[in-house]
This record gives sequence, structure tokens and C-alpha cells, in this order.
Amino acid sequence: MVLEATMICIDNSEWMRNGDYPPSRFQAQADAVNLICGAKTQSNPENTVGVLTMAGKGVRVLVTPTSDLGKILACMHGLEIGGEMNLPAGIQVAQLALKHRQNKKQQQRIIIFAGSPIRHDKKLLEMIGKKLKKNSVALDIVDFGEEDDGKPEKLEALLSAVNNNETSHIAHVPPGSNALSDVLISTPIFTGDGEGGSGFAAAAAAAAAGGVSGFDFGVDPNLDPELALALRVSMEEERARQEAAAKKAAEDASKQEKGGDHDSSSQNATMTEHATVAASEADNKTNDLTDEENSLLQQALAMSMDEPASGHDMRDTDMTEAAADDPELALALQLSVQDNTKDSENQTDMSKLLADQSFVSSILASLPGVDPNDPSVKDLLASMQSQSEPQEKDENDKSPNEKK
Amino acid sequence: MACLHDHSCEDHDCSSDWSLYKHIDTSKVSALNEAIPGSVRSVFKAWEQRLNSSGELLESNEGDPELLIFIPFTSDVKIKSISIIGGADGTSPSKMRAFINRDGIDFSDAQSMQAIQEWDLVENLQGVLEYQTRYSKFQSVASITLHIPDNFGGDTTQIQYIGLKGEATQLKRDAVTNIVYELMPNPSDHKTRAETGGGFSHVE
Repeated sequence: MVLEATMICIDNSEWMRNGDYPPSRFQAQADAVNLICGAKTQSNPENTVGVLTMAGKGVRVLVTPTSDLGKILACMHGLEIGGEMNLPAGIQVAQLALKHRQNKKQQQRIIIFAGSPIRHDKKLLEMIGKKLKKNSVALDIVDFGEEDDGKPEKLEALLSAVNNNETSHIAHVPPGSNALSDVLISTPIFTGDGEGGSGFAAAAAAAAAGGVSGFDFGVDPNLDPELALALRVSMEEERARQEAAAKKAAEDASKQEKGGDHDSSSQNATMTEHATVAASEADNKTNDLTDEENSLLQQALAMSMDEPASGHDMRDTDMTEAAADDPELALALQLSVQDNTKDSENQTDMSKLLADQSFVSSILASLPGVDPNDPSVKDLLASMQSQSEPQEKDENDKSPNEKK
Repeated sequence: MACLHDHSCEDHDCSSDWSLYKHIDTSKVSALNEAIPGSVRSVFKAWEQRLNSSGELLESNEGDPELLIFIPFTSDVKIKSISIIGGADGTSPSKMRAFINRDGIDFSDAQSMQAIQEWDLVENLQGVLEYQTRYSKFQSVASITLHIPDNFGGDTTQIQYIGLKGEATQLKRDAVTNIVYELMPNPSDHKTRAETGGGFSHVE
């Protein structure tokens, strides 16, 4: 977040008509300028940026250092290409513009886009560099476009003359299919010595990389911390819930296997009761029915024990549909609901629904190989009803006691 | 340690006179054309340490003897005299020009502007010389800028110590010295309860 006043020197010479940087060198340069202005103003709201052109009829300041991004973008329109770049004059005018900045506390920086060949000799550039260093002006150079003999060396010499404690940088951008601005995003010219514009730069880099967000949820925590936090928390809650559901489904699967045993060491109290009831039912049934029907009925009754328990939240028809779609999810939901509800409620609901003859007979009808009119099945239903009644009586006895 | 005063130093403690360094706002001291950024702060120290360089001194860039030192104070001061110790082998400053209560001066300004006072210096390696000011002009100084245009022929200019003698008033020239105001709220400045781990944010 360095407080900085920046002057950007644009090359609008004839060499900028070339198309080796898509769509044209000048357009690529304009995009890069827009991005840099955005990055600078975002890293510190009191930063100012100004623009001048170095070619054309002469060095011309388009906009003096201002923090108004709109003004800067507007002045980039309608620029004419022509003439030859005058680098020393451009730097000197930029230095003068920075000297007369309004806020003297700002650090001074010049960014040069050097696209055309450089006529001036190295010594002159080094002298200019020393003068900049003496007045503590930092310099960033973007070397693109024409690859003249000696141009990189001249620019490197200029950089080493200016460079004071690594505040100045140079970026050599060869022509290619990558946009100039994309290449520049990763350079220290953009990121501002590692701090400051890095948030904007990272976001811009992410956008440029084609929609792959650098942040977890596409939201920059710097820009909107509460939203990012809310998204993260809800993601973790969902993950925890799914893990719990998966764990319960695994538990339930293991418990259903043990359902036939009178296993008092099962973790869930309600599950124990269900298990014992199912066990007693199974015992009754083995006396009455054959082994095939036995196993099927055991499963059916176990499920019917489980299903009604969740009835006060969801309809059982819904449950069966849900079970059809995602049996694990259905079981998990049932079990989670069972955990929440009290035992008495479970028992009364279950007994009520079991007492509902039509419901039980519909379930039995859906089972293959079971004929509801079979006398043995009818006996079974009668026995279940009689069992449910004493259970109801017990609960009714218990509940007044509990209420006391 | 001989002083130019016509008394012996045991009777009178010279160091208390040169105590204006305590009123310098060291965080805002800056220099132009210094070889190592930030080395200017090592130049302001107590009188007793004025010869103790311990390797740190203010040096200008190679081949360029000019230096521009900006010294702001925490309150307005009156400066009676200035003492300056340079380096050996012609690296001592030969001339000094002072500007008062102007900030943001750079070399082109300094060269063109009329200084409030100029001195011709001699090599003063023991720190016994002091240069008096026209006291009437240095009555309420919030900041002083020293411009060193030349030295005694050395490649660079080295300064070991700058001492200021005078008195400090408790007044301040500008009522408000440093304001930071937000043009745009910066989320990292405003830690919400949510970030510090706790509480529900609710909308009413």
C-alpha cells in the first residue's frame, strides 16, 4: 500500500501499428495501461496516475496525476499513432509532472512503454537514470515491440542507473499470442514490490486465467470478508452434515445386521428398543412362516419400525420415494430424526401406524410372495396389534409419571 | 575533547546544549542522493556520540557530492547554531545552505531558491566547530532543509554527525500535522466480529 504518484509514458509512434501483439501493439499497450491504472488506484485509494505520450508531434501530457480512473480511461481514446518516440524528453517531462504533484508525500514513479527502437546512446540514458535516482524517482520499463540491436542493453543500463534498492523494474515481453497485459500481471511492475496491488493483481490474474478463481469461492476475502466467511462456514457445515450422514448410514447398516440378536450394547437407546421389538417379532414369525418369507418379513418389519418414527416430520410416502432415490440418505435422515425425537413419541407414532391396518397391509402387499389374505399373515398382524396396544398402555402409564 | 568555548568542559556540560536532536521527528527525516536509503537517521545523535560513527554515516552517491537533508521537528524550535562533522579525504562538505519550513524541496528547487542562510564550512573532523545562525530568522522552525552543494574534492560526501543547538518551544506550527482519511473503506482496517472468530452478524 505504498502511497505513490505514477506517470505512464505511452509510445504512440509509427511502430505501434504492427500486429505482432494481438490485436495491435497500440491496443495491447492501451489494455496494459488500463490494467496498471486500475491496480495502482486500487492498492491505495490516494494513489494518483497520469499519462503522457512520447511520440506524435512531441511529448504531450494527456492527464496530470489524478486518482480519477474515468479520466484516465477517457484520455486513452482517440489517440493518434505517428511520429517517433523521444525517450529522454518523455522521461524529463514525466519527472516535471511528478515534481508538481499535489500531495508531496507520494513516492514518485515513472512507467515507460518502450515499443520502438531507441536512437539515443547509452551514456545519455545513464545520465538520465542517475538524475532520476538522485531525485528518488523509481522507474519501471516495459520492453516490447521492436527488438533492436542494443535496445535491451540500453534499457538495462538505464535501469541499473536508476535502480535504488530494487524499487525499479524492467519487463521484456517478446511477441506472441499472450496478451501484453497478461504477461505484465505477473511482473513486479504490476504487483508493486510484492505488496499493495497484489489483491487486485491476483484477482485479475485469476480472471485472465479463464474463470479459475484464485480464491475458494470466487470472492476476494479482501473485498468482502463477511461473504467469504459465510460461504466457507456453510461449506463446512454441509461437509460435516454429509460426513455425519455417511457415518450414520454405516452404523445403521451394521446395526441392521445385528438386528436379530438381542444386543443390548448398541449405542442408540431407541435403536435398542427397535431392535428388541424387531427381535421379538422375528421370533414370532419364525414360528408361523417359512424361512423365505421370514427373512423378507423381517426386513419389511424392520423398515416399518424405522419409517414411522420419522412420520411427524415427513410423510411416509415421501420417505419411500426418497428411499428409492437414495437409500443411504433416507436412512440417515430417519436416524437423524430419531435422534432428535423422544422415545415416547417414537413409540406412539410407530404403534399408531402399525395399528393402521391398511398401511401395514399395503406394505405387505408390496412384498413379493406374501398374500395378505394368508391366515398366517393375518395372525401375525393381529399379534403385532396386540403388542402395540400394551406398548401404548405402557407409554400412557409412563407419560403421566414423566409429567409429574 | 576541547570546545571552542572559553571555559573548560568539566564545569559545563556541553551535551545538554546540543539536545535539539531529541525534538527531531526521526521517522520523517529524509535525504536525497543518499547512497543507502535511510542512512540519514544515523547522523542525529547525542553530543557524546558524535565521533562514534560505528560504520554508519550518511554518504552521497558515487561521483555526486550533492546532498539534500530534510529535518522535521516534533514541535517548533529555535536554532542557535549548527555543528557538522564530515568525513576524511576531501569528503567533508564545503558549503551548506539552509531552508526553513519548506517541505518537498528537490535539487532543482534548492539550486534555484534563495536560501535563508549559507555557510562556508571547513573540515571539522573533531566536531569542535559550530556555525551560528542569524537567530532572528530561526525563531519558529518546524522543519529545516540542509543543502550541501559541494565538498572538498572527494568522490562522495560523507557526513558523520549533525548537531543542532537551540531551544524547543512546545508550540506546533501546523495545528494538524498528519491526517489520514479514507476515500474508500479498506476492509482490512475494519476487523469485524465475524473475522475475529465469534458472534453472529444479524440484520435488523
